[in-house]
Amino acid sequence: MTLPFTHVDWAAVAPLEVLAATGLLVLLFDLVWRPFAPRGLSLSVAFLGTILTAALIAQQYGTNVAAFNGGYIVGNFSVLFGEVVLLGTLGALALMGRGGSDRESAGTIALLLWSACGALLLAAAATTMTIFLGIELLSLALYCLCGLANRKSAREAALKYLLLSSTASAVLLFGMALLFGASGSVSLAALASPAMVTNPLFWMGSGFFLVGIAFKLSLVPFHAWAPDVYQGAPLPIAAFMTVVTKAATIAIFARFAYAALPAGASQMLLLPVWAIAGISMIVGNVGMLAQHDLKRLLGYSGIAQVGYILAALAGTTRLGLRYAFFYLVVYAVMNLGAFAVAAVLSSGDDEEGTQIQSYRGLGARRPLLAAAMTFFLLALAGLPPTAGFLGKILILAVAAGTGYLWLAALLLVGTAISLYAYAKIILAMYRPDHRVHAADIPRGAPLPWVSLALCLVATVALTFYPLLPSGLLPLVK
Amino acid sequence: MNPYLPVAIFLAVALAAALLFTVLPGLLAQRKPNPLKLEAYECGVEPTSSVSGRFPVRFYLIAMLFVIFDVEAASFYPWAVELHALKLFGLLEMVVFIVVLGIGYAYVWKRGGLAWK
Repeated sequence: MTLPFTHVDWAAVAPLEVLAATGLLVLLFDLVWRPFAPRGLSLSVAFLGTILTAALIAQQYGTNVAAFNGGYIVGNFSVLFGEVVLLGTLGALALMGRGGSDRESAGTIALLLWSACGALLLAAAATTMTIFLGIELLSLALYCLCGLANRKSAREAALKYLLLSSTASAVLLFGMALLFGASGSVSLAALASPAMVTNPLFWMGSGFFLVGIAFKLSLVPFHAWAPDVYQGAPLPIAAFMTVVTKAATIAIFARFAYAALPAGASQMLLLPVWAIAGISMIVGNVGMLAQHDLKRLLGYSGIAQVGYILAALAGTTRLGLRYAFFYLVVYAVMNLGAFAVAAVLSSGDDEEGTQIQSYRGLGARRPLLAAAMTFFLLALAGLPPTAGFLGKILILAVAAGTGYLWLAALLLVGTAISLYAYAKIILAMYRPDHRVHAADIPRGAPLPWVSLALCLVATVALTFYPLLPSGLLPLVK
Repeated sequence: MNPYLPVAIFLAVALAAALLFTVLPGLLAQRKPNPLKLEAYECGVEPTSSVSGRFPVRFYLIAMLFVIFDVEAASFYPWAVELHALKLFGLLEMVVFIVVLGIGYAYVWKRGGLAWK
């Protein structure tokens, strides 16, 4: 018997293995250190491992390898989405540097790294089996991470995420089973054959598959879990979920939409997705209006932002994929920036100081932080001096170009609503408030500050040097 | 004729019979309950508390750890059968698997996951 896999296969997943081993190393340090490994040590190991992984993945740029019988396809697409995943992971790790007990840190960091492994796997997965493996690896660790904080909302978040996400996984798996029944292959590429158009199993399977994906993306009829989970999860985990989970799921969706659908079925099958993307823009932004917690607000904002990203993919054009990727990167940095401000200001109490009322009068107390928060919120709203503006213009252009004018219109309406919601926080920050004294505010740990500064620079820089990678296609060899 | 037709007929008959016997008594039977009739039948014992009791969350932890090692043991069988064919590669793979699991096990042990306190 010869082994089915060669060194080419192992080389393709080497970055994943490095990241997984880093997680193990963090646990090992915690094992041998008495009583527990200090948070700084675990974080340093995690940072080094993640950066090494990012470097290894960057080296794969320009290659095109179908490893593990086409289950894991390394190419520019997987490299770029993988880097966004690692960017989100680094951002979340930086937020963990704001302090806390050493006791939980190693386990948390290890789980976070393994979750990122699942996301990396998703960026390159090209069979339904690897997709499911990636999604479960990503989610299983997150179920635990959501419930870490010792408060009621955390337990609620963990249970809600577990139950709803498992249901979505079941739907996804059922869809995959039907797709397998239709094509007789787990490969996504096999679905692109024209014979599928007349196969009812294919239509049903794709429908279930897309519903599962829409749940993971928190698109509108399946969005209710997102704000609750983000509110209950600790700050760094919420930041991780908004960026990494979204990036990985969008990668899967893009691969499915671009590479797995036969030409005759693509437009009709994906129309409902674009429709719920459009509804998400409105509902997410309207939902933001009533929020009193920053994490919840950013959760609703995320629902709308996914809608924007999907609007770029509508029509499944090459240009759309590049613009969607650009907006994903921009969303990652501005969102991580907003979370970094929250982390600098966070307090040790139950709600981590993320209630919007605790931002009142921030402009007078901490002018720098208030300015940074204003900047990130304006970027999320999509105002001119930021990359958020450029990203939205590009999406509008591609949506109009592919004939999805109604999506462009919904995007504009959503943006107008969101502006009001973001402006409410900005106004609260700059309204004088004398109840809190400057001395009461924590100075904040250095790491979130570094993350904040980097996100700020990136949000500006991306406006002038837009990252529009070419060669994202083809997705399946 | 479709070979599954007899199965479908069988299912339909079974369903109909089951429904008939559960619905008909409700419609036709006479009910004249008295305390003696409502007692537990013959040697049956009167229930003293609710069946679904509460038990400590620790059981879940132990159950979870059990499942992990159960799955591990299950994955040993196919490996052991094919060990000669898999040669050194198979052995190394299993060593990696055991090391990863071992670290997790040691971690649980250190954190007191196995202590019943």
